[in-house]
Amino acid sequence: MKNIDQHNVNQKKEFETVGSISSSKDVVMSVKDCNVFYGENQALKNINLEVGKSEVIALIGPSGCGKSTFLRCLNRLNDTIDSCRVTGEFSLEGEDIYSGDMDVVLLRARVGMVFQKPNPFPKSIYENVAYGPKIHGITSSKRELDELVDLSLDRAGLLEEVKDRIHSPGTSLSGGQQQRLCIARAIAIKPDVILMDEPCSALDPIATEKIEGLINELKENYAIVMVTHSMSQAARVSQRAAYFHLGDLIEVGDTKKIFEDPEHELTKNYIHGRTG
Amino acid sequence: MFGFLFIIILLFCLAIFFIAKRHAINIKKQNGFLHSLPKYYGFYASLWFSIPTLCIVLLYSLFAESFVTSNLVNSLPENIKNLSDNELTLVLNNIKNFAVGNISDSSSFASIQQAADFYNAQYDLIHSVVLYSSLILGLLTFIYAYRSITATYRARNFIENAIYLLFFSSALVAIFVTAGILLSVLFEALRFFEVINFSDFLFGLSWSPQMAIREGQVGSSGLFGAMPLFAGTILISLIALLLAVPIGLLTAIYLSEYADTKVRAITKPILEILSGIPTVVYGFFAVVTVAPFIRHVGSLVGLDIASESALGVGLVMGIMIIPLVSSLSDDVISSVPQSLREGSYGLGATKSETIKKVILPAALPGIIGGILLAASRAIGETMIVVMAAGLSAKLSFNPIDAVTTVTVQIVTLLTGDQEFDSPKTLAAFALGLTLFVFTLFLNFIALKIVRKYREQYE
Repeated sequence: MKNIDQHNVNQKKEFETVGSISSSKDVVMSVKDCNVFYGENQALKNINLEVGKSEVIALIGPSGCGKSTFLRCLNRLNDTIDSCRVTGEFSLEGEDIYSGDMDVVLLRARVGMVFQKPNPFPKSIYENVAYGPKIHGITSSKRELDELVDLSLDRAGLLEEVKDRIHSPGTSLSGGQQQRLCIARAIAIKPDVILMDEPCSALDPIATEKIEGLINELKENYAIVMVTHSMSQAARVSQRAAYFHLGDLIEVGDTKKIFEDPEHELTKNYIHGRTG
Repeated sequence: MFGFLFIIILLFCLAIFFIAKRHAINIKKQNGFLHSLPKYYGFYASLWFSIPTLCIVLLYSLFAESFVTSNLVNSLPENIKNLSDNELTLVLNNIKNFAVGNISDSSSFASIQQAADFYNAQYDLIHSVVLYSSLILGLLTFIYAYRSITATYRARNFIENAIYLLFFSSALVAIFVTAGILLSVLFEALRFFEVINFSDFLFGLSWSPQMAIREGQVGSSGLFGAMPLFAGTILISLIALLLAVPIGLLTAIYLSEYADTKVRAITKPILEILSGIPTVVYGFFAVVTVAPFIRHVGSLVGLDIASESALGVGLVMGIMIIPLVSSLSDDVISSVPQSLREGSYGLGATKSETIKKVILPAALPGIIGGILLAASRAIGETMIVVMAAGLSAKLSFNPIDAVTTVTVQIVTLLTGDQEFDSPKTLAAFALGLTLFVFTLFLNFIALKIVRKYREQYE
């Protein structure tokens, strides 16, 4: 099995322009030769990928293939893990993400993140959304802050549901509402890119549908990089898809193309449920 | 008697275990099927033998003494039987000592040899009754168990229930012991409150427990107002907490959020060593080092600080409870889900902002619980204060005064020869009860808070 994989991986190298954007869209983030190690183990090998404005790019692939690790490189959240080492060139609108000059804290403000399991802070709904703007001093008055909180909740499609109890605990919401609260929290600091790590895997189908609708709206203003295990979800919400396999980026392309006519054997097998 | 009986019971148990196991193996050979492993049938039969046997031994140890003694009293001559209770107890003790060969005063009555023989004969009789009856009962129940062993008998499930009962009764022991301690203190304290008014004790402002032994003795008024003691206890505990809470909390935050694994591996054991130091060592640290130091510093700025000042004792006690505060807080902070930290980092918060705004608020109930536990430890602490705090009860909240605490007074009231019916001695039990109730209350609240916090994230 390993030999076959290795062969297939070698085959991949034949494709050119892996991960680059073919259309004339503006590139927001680009990654060149990304390698990630956990201690001795290499989790990602020579990943090249570009993220364009106003697009949703879905990272797909079997569990443990490095999708989440890759996502967490983009806002340097892997820095918090002692044994993790990242190499390669990462840039956000031309700035080197991993350079010594980069202020990690501001980087994370520009690259928002939504996690797999909704993780609202044990504070009120209002305080959850106001958390980011407060620590970054985005607003200058209480009124401005109130407006920003309302706007963020509104854009996350949550305002109607919670406007009467905006000061009750964020943890009292349902799972889907909590996840939308986390999205509102992320967009309140006006990021350029939003990273989503399986944002719907802990949610029921109705909540999932709402989040997907939300992602569709959000992509007008933000670049979204999303890890998902659901093929149908990737097909519904993403414009481009990237298939990861055992730490390699096998194939990137328009979602439609990836799903209907993948160039690589491994991708085809995965899409048709024969791997992972 | 006990040793001998236990060895016999143990030997029987072993033999029965193997007999029953062999029996079960035979059944398995005949039927080709057995519900449980053969050893379970061995345990099953052994249990059936040993439990009734041990019950008889238990009855013996509970009632034999009083049974023999009452028989002995009945056998004594009329004139001795009619002695007062105290004298009768003395005579009985003489007889018992004589019976086991400790020759004592044989002049109390002529026929002491006869009485001692009677006593010994009674015991011999009871011993053989216990030995034979327990073995016969055990064997009967064993036979019942042996006959009930069949291929489908669920010995494994029986053993499971027996083990459940074992654990359950172990837990009961702890509860009964607590109740027993509470009751013993409670009854003595009630005797105290027969003499001294409850509210005088609780709210009285002066404490001077020396009772007049003869009429008109000077300076022995016997005042039992415990307020100065409570004030002293609270003052010293507060000083201790003022030192321990900030240092312990900051240590915990450092250890759980900032320290890398290497530093943690060194620092944590050192802190644990700190909590393992015997309190008597802290005591002389307070007496020899801290108190003179504070007195010296005070004299430099023109303050006259008592060498038994509450400040010195409180600081040393604070050092003692730092590890308690830090390890409890460390546990609580570490149990705040990693996802909350990442959520905050993901929004561009720095580490200290995350700690201040997300982790500490989330961990606060647990931290408060930990602080309350530390407080109850400080309030109940004895050795440090006995060595380093004052003895005179002074109602003062000035940290450079010498004050005394509840525990110090209990120790002074109960050391040396004491009459157990004087209010002076009984006061110790009343103080003990107050302390017990108060720390129980604190622990109760602390556990309640900690538990509530745990539910939030699990």
